[in-house]
Amino acid sequence: MELLTNLAHAFQEVGEKVQSSLVVVQGHRHGAGAGMIWRKDGMILTNAHVVNHRSPLVYLSDGRKYTARVLAHEPEIDMALLKIEADDLPAMSCAKKGSVKVGQFVFAVGHPWGQKGYITKGIVSALTSAQTRNSDRQLPIIRTDAALAPGNSGGPLVNAAGEAIGINTMIVGGDQGVAISVEVADEFVRRALEKAGVSEKTV
Amino acid sequence: MATNENSLVALSDAMAEAVEKVGAATVTVDARRRFPASGILYSNDLVLTADHVVEREEDIQIFLPAGGEATASIAGRDPGSDLALLRLSRSASQTAEMSQVDPRVGQLVLAVARPTAEGIQASLGIISAIGGPIRTGRGVRLERYISTDAVPYPGFSGGPLIDASGRVIGMNTSGLTRGASIAIPVSQVRLAVESLLQHGKIRRGYLGVRSQPVELPVNGMEALGRAQTSGLLIVGIEPDGPASASGLMVGDILVGIDGDPISDHDELLSRLSGSLVGAQTQVEILRGGKPVSVPVTVGERS
Repeated sequence: MELLTNLAHAFQEVGEKVQSSLVVVQGHRHGAGAGMIWRKDGMILTNAHVVNHRSPLVYLSDGRKYTARVLAHEPEIDMALLKIEADDLPAMSCAKKGSVKVGQFVFAVGHPWGQKGYITKGIVSALTSAQTRNSDRQLPIIRTDAALAPGNSGGPLVNAAGEAIGINTMIVGGDQGVAISVEVADEFVRRALEKAGVSEKTV
Repeated sequence: MATNENSLVALSDAMAEAVEKVGAATVTVDARRRFPASGILYSNDLVLTADHVVEREEDIQIFLPAGGEATASIAGRDPGSDLALLRLSRSASQTAEMSQVDPRVGQLVLAVARPTAEGIQASLGIISAIGGPIRTGRGVRLERYISTDAVPYPGFSGGPLIDASGRVIGMNTSGLTRGASIAIPVSQVRLAVESLLQHGKIRRGYLGVRSQPVELPVNGMEALGRAQTSGLLIVGIEPDGPASASGLMVGDILVGIDGDPISDHDELLSRLSGSLVGAQTQVEILRGGKPVSVPVTVGERS
């Protein structure tokens, strides 16, 4: 009984931790998507398809609202990097490369069907790759049985320690939930910052 | 707080380990035109899988967990219970560890599969119910089955359902219950495998009677001298069947077979199997309110 109670509390704690790094991204007139605080100085990661506007609005979990700049936008891998003028934000931590295994517990956090900060649970069902739209490129993806719906896009898929292992996306179809591996996001952000001439701050 | 997070991480890692453990004994079964399904290494040269995924008898390919492949032939199959046993052309190094404990409702389980060469796949759930006996869509009595809310993805049929320790508690299949996936418990699998290895199939007996359950007449119950309230009224006899040859008649009420009382179709179906198939036995009836014992040679259903 105690084990189950401990686990239930652990679920709760991971949920709270991740929700604080979750944002709402309003890049279209209708509907909003999810995003995560990638760096504490205001870098926000989300899906490219969530951002249509030159100045999308970003809402933090504590209600603060910002107008963001789009630093990078790559529809081919469905990622976008935004910048808001804020600091000391609770950034998402990422899982160590190669640590993701089939069978591990995962949580998806986002805003499915407009429900803010909604958490679903599941496991890593498979580690595979998928071809993205409009290109021959194969991306490493994580398939999960955690329920995902429109509004989850751009939000994180996290492991039992609350570290991001993927970005939930709807660009690959099927009835299974799909997240693009966080390693792709890592590379994307690095490329984007190099291009923008913004050097990575050593923290 | 640290303790709670650690226990969740520990659980998560334990699940991944359990998947890896049974994964070493989970194979891909390519025996049909569309996407392959999964199978369980039951012994070094036997693969257990779902009968409905074996759509051809030749050119059955098995992809092994460590890589590499082997061809296989059908050692035995039973469409009625959706089980098939394939014999590998070469030995595999790992076999699946079966659970020795009865499954319980509420247990954490993982449905594991290997439908492609890309690697192992899994889906999480609990044991939602342990049911049975039920009559399957194939007219066969399934003694027990495990119901779970683990999502059955394409290619999961024939694969193992494991408990938290990585031991196999059943074989997953979507072929028996319309639109749902269940697992056939290991205890059922063991019984079936015996028959499949011995006879290449599961032998099912039949009497050749059409019957319906009825409440026994009061004088009949008294004449039987035991607490039985129902039996099977014979309303039709198949010409040239075992019942016809034995002298059973329309109007007789079946109340027992081989010393066991029979009250309904499920009990009768269940008894007409195994050692009784093809054997002579005593069928107990009520004729005109009086108990009569009729010797019948049980036939085999083709």
